[in-house]
Amino acid sequence: MEEKILNERVFKVISQLMNVPLEQVNEHSSPENIDQWDSLVHMNLILALEEDLKIKFTDEEIAEMIDVKLILKALRSKNMTST
Amino acid sequence: MNYSEIQNILNKADFRALPKLHISILRNVMIESMAPYIKFMSYEMGFEAKLQIGEYDNIVQESMGLKEGLLKNETDCVLIFMKLEGLSWKLARNFAAMEPKEIHEELQRIKEMIPNILAGIRKQTNSMVLWHSFELPLYPALGISDSQHSSGQTGIIQELNIFLHAALANYPDAYYVDLNLCLSRLGSKDFYDQRYWHIGRAPYSLDALREIAHEDFKFIRPLKGKNKKCLVLDCDNVLWGGVIGEEGLSGIKLGKTHPGSPYYEFQEEIVNLYHRGILIALCSKNNSEDVWEVFHKHPDMVLKEKHIVAAQINWEDKATNLKKIAAQLNIGLDSLVFADDSEFEVNLVRQALPEVTVIHLPKDKTVEYKEILASFGLFDTLTVSSEDRQRGSMYKAEAQRQQLQVQTPDLESYLKSLEMEVEIKFADDFTIPRVSQLTQKTNQFNLTTRRYSEAEIKKYAGSKDADVLFLRLLDKFGDSGIVGVSILKYKEEKAFLDTFLLSCRVLGRGIEDLFINQTLKLAKKKGCKVLIGEYLPTPKNVQTKDFLPKQGFNKKGNIFELNQALKTGPMFFKRIDSSVDGQD
Repeated sequence: MEEKILNERVFKVISQLMNVPLEQVNEHSSPENIDQWDSLVHMNLILALEEDLKIKFTDEEIAEMIDVKLILKALRSKNMTST
Repeated sequence: MNYSEIQNILNKADFRALPKLHISILRNVMIESMAPYIKFMSYEMGFEAKLQIGEYDNIVQESMGLKEGLLKNETDCVLIFMKLEGLSWKLARNFAAMEPKEIHEELQRIKEMIPNILAGIRKQTNSMVLWHSFELPLYPALGISDSQHSSGQTGIIQELNIFLHAALANYPDAYYVDLNLCLSRLGSKDFYDQRYWHIGRAPYSLDALREIAHEDFKFIRPLKGKNKKCLVLDCDNVLWGGVIGEEGLSGIKLGKTHPGSPYYEFQEEIVNLYHRGILIALCSKNNSEDVWEVFHKHPDMVLKEKHIVAAQINWEDKATNLKKIAAQLNIGLDSLVFADDSEFEVNLVRQALPEVTVIHLPKDKTVEYKEILASFGLFDTLTVSSEDRQRGSMYKAEAQRQQLQVQTPDLESYLKSLEMEVEIKFADDFTIPRVSQLTQKTNQFNLTTRRYSEAEIKKYAGSKDADVLFLRLLDKFGDSGIVGVSILKYKEEKAFLDTFLLSCRVLGRGIEDLFINQTLKLAKKKGCKVLIGEYLPTPKNVQTKDFLPKQGFNKKGNIFELNQALKTGPMFFKRIDSSVDGQD
């Protein structure tokens, strides 16, 4: 999958799960700047991303993926992007 | 639907007009991720869920009233998730190391706790209580010898479940939810999420939470009177394989062995529903005599006429027929479940009658029909009474007394939404085999039922005294291929409609009107002033009896004559590509 498309899918899931406008979600989004993003919502986010992208993260990967930047990094390391 | 899509629907939903459904959860595991499923299923049922989740591992305290507002008069339903790990880690995880005395003491402790929790809840609220059972171990503590005696880990947990079951039976509206059923349906690998069990004591996967919520709503739906009461079934390719009007009694698939067995077992499931008090009705585009012939004469029909409370077997659209059935039975449209194999019908009903629950039975999943129907769980009631068992016959009597008037739904906008594209062309070498096949096979919408070989079609197609038109249909669901044939023969400024047929799965979309129109246009272009049609009755083609008069043909003895222009009805097509139009 192209990196841009992948990023947009991640942003969309975040926007839907946290009920924030899509245009406010970007690579710098994190629990620091999205109020709704607490540890429970984070778990839902990981599970929803797995469902949406049909992948599974390990427990250790999950522990690292604490903001959008790190989520995208984890996806890249799982070869989810082609470029 | 994905988890995030469900959340998205909830974000946008307008709950203001909806009644509230107060659900409170007591738990000793993390279960928060279940919330969107509960809210969504409430919403589907027509309610706004007001969900409260008690503190982690506070079941006993909260049953005694620790958390204000959690359990109160307005509470509709209390869900209890008490996982054995949180109750007795030893019994759950260190069982092999336990002495019998210790096991006994742990059992006694839990057996005292359960009735106390229930009594405590009942002091605060009379709501429904749904207690999720203890899960059986996948790999019992004592290995294969565990199951050999009742004091193994599995036996002890079963004993606890039996105890829980009995304790719940002491209270009205307290029910045992068998979590092991949910677990078996999904399989343990899909049911448990070991990562989040370790990260945050959240044992269940999203799929598991969806399945559990689905199970819980089988209880909540009848609590609110929202369980479904009537199953309305299509016939061809649902009750049996094939089209009875085409293939005949001996040609349809139905029996105890493959390929008839999926239909046989599906019918058994339907009869099971009948015995649980569910009304069974038919809604099918057929000649009704054909359908009843199957009911009366086919040796492998499990479903009998006596099970059928209402039947609309005709060529009208199914939304109209479903309304008639609901009116006849004097139940709401929201009590109906409609099952059909045709994507067209399923979508028509979804769009015209959103209150009706629709089950699509895909043609490539015939072998799963029984499971698909069973998995919906829409008909569940909290008890099955002897009255339930007789309900079918009661309604049947009532229905016979009733007269009905039903409005036509907005068919037009539905037909437009199909984005139908029609091609009308002259038969050529590529299409002659299919055209010939259609004359051989089509029984129902066929004015003359003349059967032609490929050679004969080829002869007409090449002759200047005849024309062979075919009609091909595409819509947004795909390409239906060639579904209509019209053959004209010309003689002395008269055109004879030798053959006019359409596959019955495309009827009711304005296609028959378009096709006869184009046929007439062609006759005029050939210099004919009169179009002469015939209706040759067979046991199968009753539905076309009035087709020509309806189009404006005048009856003259055995034939029908048209010497004026055809009425042009409303058209619903996205594109019409006709060689008749192009041939000037």
